[in-house]
Amino acid sequence: MSWTLPKLVPRSAPAVLLVLTLAAGVAFAAVSHLVNRYNANQQARGRKLYQQGLADVSAGKLDAAVEEFRAALTCDPSNPQFQLSLGRALRDTGRLDQADSYLLALWQRAPQDGTINLALGRVAARRGSVDDSIRYYHNAMYGVWSADADANRCKARMELIEFLLQKGARAQAQSELVALAASLPPDPHLHLQAAEYFAQAQDYRDALSEYEQVLRLNRGDPVALAGAGEAAYRAGHYLTSQRYLQEAVKANPQDAHSRPQLESASLLLHTDPFVRRISDAERTRRLTGAFLHAGDRLKSCARAKGVNLENASANSTTSLSASTSSNALASLAQRWLAMKPDLRHLRTPREDDLPGAIMDLVFQIEQQTANYCAEPRGVDQALLLLSRNREGADQ
Amino acid sequence: MSELGTIKGSVTPNPASSDSRLTPPWRFSFLEDVFDEERYFLLLSVFIGIFSGLAVVCFRLAIDWTHLALLGPLPQAHTWRLFAVPALAGLAVALLAIHVFPGIGGSGVNQTKAALYIFNGYIPFRTAIGKFVCAALAIGGGHSLGPEDPSLQIGAGLASALGRQLQLSREKLRLMAPVGAAAGLAAAFNAPVSAVLFVIEEVIGRWSAGILGSVVLSAVSSVVIVRGFLGSEPLFRIPVTTFRRPAELIAYAVLGIIGGAASVLFAKAIGLLRPCLKALPHWTQHFQSAVAGLLVGLIAFLGAPQVMGAGYDFMDQAMRGQYAWKLLAGLAALKIIATTLSFTSGTPGGMFAPTLFVGAMLGGAVGGVEHVWFPHLAGSTGTYALVGMGVLFAGFLRVPMTSVFMVLEVSGNYEIIVPVIVANTFAYVVSRSLQPIPIFDLLTRQDGLVLPSLEEAREETNSPHRRRYASPSLHNP
Repeated sequence: MSWTLPKLVPRSAPAVLLVLTLAAGVAFAAVSHLVNRYNANQQARGRKLYQQGLADVSAGKLDAAVEEFRAALTCDPSNPQFQLSLGRALRDTGRLDQADSYLLALWQRAPQDGTINLALGRVAARRGSVDDSIRYYHNAMYGVWSADADANRCKARMELIEFLLQKGARAQAQSELVALAASLPPDPHLHLQAAEYFAQAQDYRDALSEYEQVLRLNRGDPVALAGAGEAAYRAGHYLTSQRYLQEAVKANPQDAHSRPQLESASLLLHTDPFVRRISDAERTRRLTGAFLHAGDRLKSCARAKGVNLENASANSTTSLSASTSSNALASLAQRWLAMKPDLRHLRTPREDDLPGAIMDLVFQIEQQTANYCAEPRGVDQALLLLSRNREGADQ
Repeated sequence: MSELGTIKGSVTPNPASSDSRLTPPWRFSFLEDVFDEERYFLLLSVFIGIFSGLAVVCFRLAIDWTHLALLGPLPQAHTWRLFAVPALAGLAVALLAIHVFPGIGGSGVNQTKAALYIFNGYIPFRTAIGKFVCAALAIGGGHSLGPEDPSLQIGAGLASALGRQLQLSREKLRLMAPVGAAAGLAAAFNAPVSAVLFVIEEVIGRWSAGILGSVVLSAVSSVVIVRGFLGSEPLFRIPVTTFRRPAELIAYAVLGIIGGAASVLFAKAIGLLRPCLKALPHWTQHFQSAVAGLLVGLIAFLGAPQVMGAGYDFMDQAMRGQYAWKLLAGLAALKIIATTLSFTSGTPGGMFAPTLFVGAMLGGAVGGVEHVWFPHLAGSTGTYALVGMGVLFAGFLRVPMTSVFMVLEVSGNYEIIVPVIVANTFAYVVSRSLQPIPIFDLLTRQDGLVLPSLEEAREETNSPHRRRYASPSLHNP
């Protein structure tokens, strides 16, 4: 078999170069055609595998999806969508290092891409890394999105807030929440979500404000009513709380959480001697009631702890040698007994400081007994909450 | 002993050495000053690069097409195709290699070197075609071999054919083979500097300023073509890696020592098995490649499909830390076995990709173990895998300069240069101490040829009394 090529090329150098140029052009065109066909086939095959992978993800078959995405990437190795999906699938199967490597490779090529940064932020969140999560989520928030940028940025910030709350980073979560609240569109669902995050961050005033925003957008929303009632209750706004909780219970009679809270708020409002727009007689009645309740609470707590308040009050040297709790309870009992005769001066207009002094003692008794004995119920619980709110207000 | 090298045994007559070729064909009168022979050769080098680049693009498409058609996009273990396809591909390749394209077995590096030093640059065009077809079938069919060395020979074959067509002088015709080889290898690796260095270190075997310009031009032009068609991204996209603490060089040195030992093991396995298989009766050559394919397929079937073909996708995954160190170590060992079987059976295909594969897996495994003991090490598994590639390149192929630049070019990462140099140096020294004859020289000697090598030149420089060859000249045959 002869494989000798025929002598086709002329011997003149310029002619040779011309022929070679023409031959190179023809070969180039032929190879271009081949490569284009090959690439088109590969891309079609890659898309098919990618769709199968997406279907597997939807069906919860993440391991199969990973294989499909990998196969898709062998067909179209530079396709960022395939890489991103593979990275996400790897992340969701818990293979965080592998996910990181794919996503970081994408990130190196497009560090401004919001989608990639969001995926990396989620990997960092799965790892529990607060710093990396904040970095990538912030990149996602301020990055470039191909579509629906505002919604995606909002979603990224909400995810970050959720992660920070899970990690107990309340201060960082609150700063994100403030930024979130300022940028939210008038969507009741988003405001409701923000309100819940504020509540989780124990920022009840802002939570109440967000719930009220929801109610402005969607009047009568039972979830927002219940949330506003609870936020107001925890913020110490019992009158507001009562109002929202009444509406919440009315809107949803099955609401098992709001009803006891409503009762508690009502009790508080009926117990608080400093509430405005009540008569002097009513105020005196509330002060006397609070004082007597505190005394009963002190006695029952002392009984439960085995402290004899009468001996303790008769012989202070004995109480000094007792435990700290006995001392504290005995001291409170002494003060309570000493103040009891003053109750009759409550109606005297000149005794302006007495109501404050009585409630100070009541609050101290409720706080100390809450420390040493079981959590109070009923009026005692209401008094304890009042004491905490007053403490907060003083601070 | 000839100035060009010595042939032991029978040699194919050299068709390029007829008297008619001795007279240069510079018959043109006009533009004579513009197109003197040197400039003309440089321009031809560019065309060689273009044609080689186009050929390598087609070669890669052919491999991918064959692989997709025969094995699918991502072969899974425990499917019958895994051992049926390589066995049948091996049988077809063996029949073609024996009856249609004789002399296409092996990697192609030594054949190109022999063409330069023995056959005056003559590489039959049939060899280039046969290498293209059979290597595509073998690699696409799952044999544990790579496409780079065949690309080198395809480039050299095209260049040689072009030189003969243009009736170049014998002196220039000899130089066409390394020029084409550099173009083919550069296109296959998408790495011009490494290709130029490899051709100088391994094919030409000596530093020669006279040919450097042509080799560089052809390599660069072929890379431009390949990048135009297949993209300009590096072969591997490794995760971000940095080298901060010099103390970490100890870890890389350990990798170099282990890689050097693995290189020796790899070379010894090929050096021992190849003559044994060659000594078998001639009729067995029809089936050696098929049996090798069957065994490689069996390894894949039993759970390691990663060892099939060139394995670039799996190297990429190893660099992304997707395998545990135990799996990486196992894959390195299995790849050595699979490549030894495929290569020694005479299946056409290269050893570059398997060397990189073994290096990447071994590097990743060593890095993984070191991370277990020293968790504070900054280098990722990907970094160690990347350095491991260079280590095996330096230790097994014994091309220390190429090994450094190859790592830099295939990764596009220059931060890693110091660890690469340290690890490669250790691997090279260990390998050279335990296996004095480099793998390509060993294969040449097994084929009854003696060709000059740069490593031999280094030995001569170190020990002038141990000269075994006269230094060959490229310009004064």
